[in-house]
Amino acid sequence: MELIDDRAAGATIGGRAIPDLPDLPRMHRERFERLQHQLEAQGVDGLVLLGSSSVAYATGAAAPAQDGDRAALFRPVAVVVKGDSAPHLYTLFADGAPSELPDDHLHGPVFPDLDDGMDVFAAALADQFPPGARVGVDDQTHAMLRGLPRFDWVDASDVVGAAKLTKTPDEIACIRNAQRLNELAMSDALAILRPGVRQIDLSAAFLRRVFELGASANGIDPIWQVMAPTRELGPWTLHGDLAYPTVTTDRFLREGDVIWVDAGITWQGYASDYGRTWITGADPVPNAKQQAHFRRWRAVVDAALDVLKPGVSALQLGTTAIDANDGVRPWIEHFYLAHGVGTESAEMPLIGTDLGEGFDEQLMMRPGMVLVFEPVIWEDGAAGYRSEDIVAVTDTGWVKLSGSTYEPYGLTA
Amino acid sequence: MSPVARDRGVFVGMMGLEDDARVDFGRLRAQRRVKVLSGMESHDIDALMLGGVGDVRYVSGARQLGRSGVLPFAPVAVVVKKTERVHLLSTWDEGVPPEIGYDDLYRLSWNPANLAADLATIPGLREARRVGTDGLTPMFAGLISQLVTPAELVDAAPVIASARRTKTPDEITCLDVASAIAEAALSALEGALAPGITEREMLGIYDERIASLGAPMPPSESVCFATPSRGPVRFRHLASDRPIGDGELVVLAPGALYAGYESGLARTRVAGHAGPQGAADLASRCARGMDALIAACRPGNTGADLYTAWEGAGNPDPGVPLAHGLGLGAEPPLIGLGRGGDATIEEGMVLSVQSWVAEEGVGGCLERGTVRIESSGPSALTRYGRL
Repeated sequence: MELIDDRAAGATIGGRAIPDLPDLPRMHRERFERLQHQLEAQGVDGLVLLGSSSVAYATGAAAPAQDGDRAALFRPVAVVVKGDSAPHLYTLFADGAPSELPDDHLHGPVFPDLDDGMDVFAAALADQFPPGARVGVDDQTHAMLRGLPRFDWVDASDVVGAAKLTKTPDEIACIRNAQRLNELAMSDALAILRPGVRQIDLSAAFLRRVFELGASANGIDPIWQVMAPTRELGPWTLHGDLAYPTVTTDRFLREGDVIWVDAGITWQGYASDYGRTWITGADPVPNAKQQAHFRRWRAVVDAALDVLKPGVSALQLGTTAIDANDGVRPWIEHFYLAHGVGTESAEMPLIGTDLGEGFDEQLMMRPGMVLVFEPVIWEDGAAGYRSEDIVAVTDTGWVKLSGSTYEPYGLTA
Repeated sequence: MSPVARDRGVFVGMMGLEDDARVDFGRLRAQRRVKVLSGMESHDIDALMLGGVGDVRYVSGARQLGRSGVLPFAPVAVVVKKTERVHLLSTWDEGVPPEIGYDDLYRLSWNPANLAADLATIPGLREARRVGTDGLTPMFAGLISQLVTPAELVDAAPVIASARRTKTPDEITCLDVASAIAEAALSALEGALAPGITEREMLGIYDERIASLGAPMPPSESVCFATPSRGPVRFRHLASDRPIGDGELVVLAPGALYAGYESGLARTRVAGHAGPQGAADLASRCARGMDALIAACRPGNTGADLYTAWEGAGNPDPGVPLAHGLGLGAEPPLIGLGRGGDATIEEGMVLSVQSWVAEEGVGGCLERGTVRIESSGPSALTRYGRL
């Protein structure tokens, strides 16, 4: 029975097992320790964070999912001071503050986008940092540039990025649970897929179900892109490669349409990333070419997984995937073979981007990294196949975080 | 469509009609662009580099992938005054309006140096003297000055926020459609409300309804919270999994986006048949507060007049905004929480106005509406009955 309960199948990260459910206070504490460690290592006195995913990472605070400009105007702000025991959180959404946050670290909102009241924000920062302190910041509004004390502002991304690069076992448990909710809800959307269903109808079915199942928030407008059989018949692109993802509309889906699905929700601040290829029809059966696309996609991912373990470089993984696809790069020019996922839906490590081979060569896999493999198999004239497999790098190899069914192509792979 | 439709309700739908499109989006985009270019002229700004979701949408009219949350600044759209061209970060043409040509697109990059190199080729940007941005990061401040343009980087708000503040008739039509979707969502929430359902299930019902009407990305997922009839009452923003209790006052606060334009409303309803003792008094206090706030939303008034109206109705600081601007999402001014006393209410603005009152032993009551400011005074774009 113990083996059945252990969904991580004995895998460890830094010698620790991945728990079935996360210990949230421990997770918040360990993330904060990582930020503190990076502040120390990089000689930075603190952080002022305004981006939604960075605030969530630094504080563990929840905020309601909001559209861009609403999320900006009402944004929570995190302030991390080197040597402090907890982050400061400035928020309108007090009900989203983690229960373990000390009362004197929870504050009202500061509205960084407004000049009105910037003196409050300035006074708060002057309390925490001496003049001229070296402070990492991820975003600066003009109101901040006008109204805040003159610190030695540096980009926060070096500190935050380094802390986020590998995940703790609790963080991986969050990602796995987010993914499970996402996958379960997708079965409701797939069940209604047939000619005449609109893209937005699939969104409606998916979103209804994913909240019933317990999602904390939706992350992106779910994508149900119909893939034209050739690049030429798809949207025009700057690079001549495929356009993906394009935005959902009330487009009617028609018999035989190959659709590339992509969606992401969050659970306890962590993003899922669901990617599959579906075929429109009441009971679709992939034809021989389509089955071959799927098998090739599987072979590419399996080839990369066969070499994946700590110490392997991103470049080796990319080269392995290209070799498994007979020398053809199996991903879209503007994307990657794989990306990380965490409090952002796509974050480091990125494998195969325009950061270049030199970057990939230096990027070594480490226990606790999470990779979303999303190669694309394309046969011009017959469309192609794309899915996403999520794995975490463990002490000795990897463990899968996403599910293993690929309807209507294959039940298992 | 007839040149002047007397029944404006004919515009409130999503399908194209044989006689014309409901909203003339070409005209809507052209009018926004004229406002932006003339603002650049009068504020002596040669180019804009914009990253805010609403700003990018305003200048480009592009349909971009909806995602929740706010990202740090990055240049997603560029406007050059001399060429009158809008350049957009988009690797493909789908969702891009026809006035933005292939030459005006630049690619998605993970490498900031590649993004800077692409920006450097935009005609007129290198020679610009003053470039307005809607944010900055230490990294982009360095990259832009080293690789893109030596221009002085200034605040784009005098141009872009000013242009967005007052709405054109086509923008009002979009807000009308968004209002109708939000009302439909409120109706669905009201229909589903019963003791035992959870706030998270209500959120699912809300999302299902707006998605089925064609607007799957909500302005906010803060759409439903039950208020306790015992103990302190707080405004909550996050859905819980606790079953809603019989007789509790429940806030239903759905919004919707149409072509990026946000509308929203809120009403408070009883779960079950009988509300707590005192619910009727609380509801009428909420309604009086709302009426007082809306009456204060007259051109020439300021935020201070809303504060005065609210306090005059006998209410304490609600701890949430009294009002804020609406358009392509939430916009300044923010009135409430100690801010916005000096903000001027202008003809052509659209505001989200809300009255939140609470009483220990009863619960909380929220009323929210989307209000258009006309020369004759305020009028509600959202419609729904009171408790």
